[in-house]
Amino acid sequence: MKCYLPTIRSDKQGFTELASLKYALSNSIDDELVIDFSKCKFFDANMAASLKAVLSSVTDSSKTIVINGLPQAIECILRKNQFLNEYGYPVMRDTNQTTLPLLRVILQYHCFQSSDSHVLANYLNTHLSGKGIPEMSPMLNKKFRQSIFEIFENCAAHSNSRQGIFVCGQYFPRLNRLDLTISDAGIGIRTNVRRFLNRQVSSVDAIRWAMEEGNTTKTGTQPGGFGLALLKNLIELNRGKIQIVSRQGYYEFSNGKIKFDKLAADFPGTTINLEINTNDNNSYCLSSEISAKDIF
Amino acid sequence: MNNVNIIRVFDIVGGGLCVSSDDGQLVHDQIAKLLREKHNVIISFENIDTLISAFLNAAIGQLYSEFPEEDIRECLSVENMTPEDMELLKRVIDNAKIYFENRKNYDDAWKIEVNDEE
Repeated sequence: MKCYLPTIRSDKQGFTELASLKYALSNSIDDELVIDFSKCKFFDANMAASLKAVLSSVTDSSKTIVINGLPQAIECILRKNQFLNEYGYPVMRDTNQTTLPLLRVILQYHCFQSSDSHVLANYLNTHLSGKGIPEMSPMLNKKFRQSIFEIFENCAAHSNSRQGIFVCGQYFPRLNRLDLTISDAGIGIRTNVRRFLNRQVSSVDAIRWAMEEGNTTKTGTQPGGFGLALLKNLIELNRGKIQIVSRQGYYEFSNGKIKFDKLAADFPGTTINLEINTNDNNSYCLSSEISAKDIF
Repeated sequence: MNNVNIIRVFDIVGGGLCVSSDDGQLVHDQIAKLLREKHNVIISFENIDTLISAFLNAAIGQLYSEFPEEDIRECLSVENMTPEDMELLKRVIDNAKIYFENRKNYDDAWKIEVNDEE
């Protein structure tokens, strides 16, 4: 079976195209699945994480993915970020050092273990610095790292993903922007919220519910419920952008505006896409300091 | 109340990364044991560089399901915490108090999903 991949950008259309690709591939009975890029005019490098999540969700040991028809510029991007490595294309050196290459973290026992956190920490230490990478303030760097770990812990706790978690990013030095995508190919927010509320909520309503501070599908003695709200707070102060795509739900927040939409196809699991403004010197602290004595 | 005990988070989690609820649980278990024995506890965040809400929910937030708020306020304190991490901890604690007030409603709501249609 051959599928043509159209242009993929980090937007609703791009995620819809990837969800449609997943639908087409998962309905194929062929052992060989060919992804033809000849009709793809542009591919946002960070979206390699989402494409990888799609491909991992439709393949098992009996299926082979073949990638061909790559325009030269796209091949260059996807070799630099190591997406194509698994499909027989050699890695290309990232001379500008603006790439956060594709990382796959396979979770043991469906939870975020110390070994996983060290893999992610090493990845961030290695790739959040380099000659092509805009200098971020220490506070933004800290908040950004914190957000990535928050997302990972969320994926680990809620996704039930057997494929693991995929991360990929790209710096745009002239735009002072860093794009980072985290995809889990798991069950999605919708399934978790439906189980919790025992109601048939839509994917969009499930994301809306999960974004509310205090809402969590966790049960037991560990509270939760504001990892996503923290993320939104960071993006608001940073004047960046966040997109959350989960099953047929699409959420976007930027410039103070929230957008919810329904995707035309079912996207595997949950993807969180961050656009960080790297030229940001916010202090990220409340104006009045909290006293350690008053905290409890 | 008895002696003051210092819980060094860095030593328990084996480094400066406080990013998993499992590690948070380890810290919680040590704090809870000391609180049950009526000790005063200081939680030291010295040398911690990355701290997330899920860790703090497990380590400290869940104490509010086991101990009265007054006991926690009287016996527990933190040190070597940056202002931004302190702000995060404050949100965790405020959230935990509300969470455990409504906990029965939350837990009763956990049921199986009906089907997979949108």
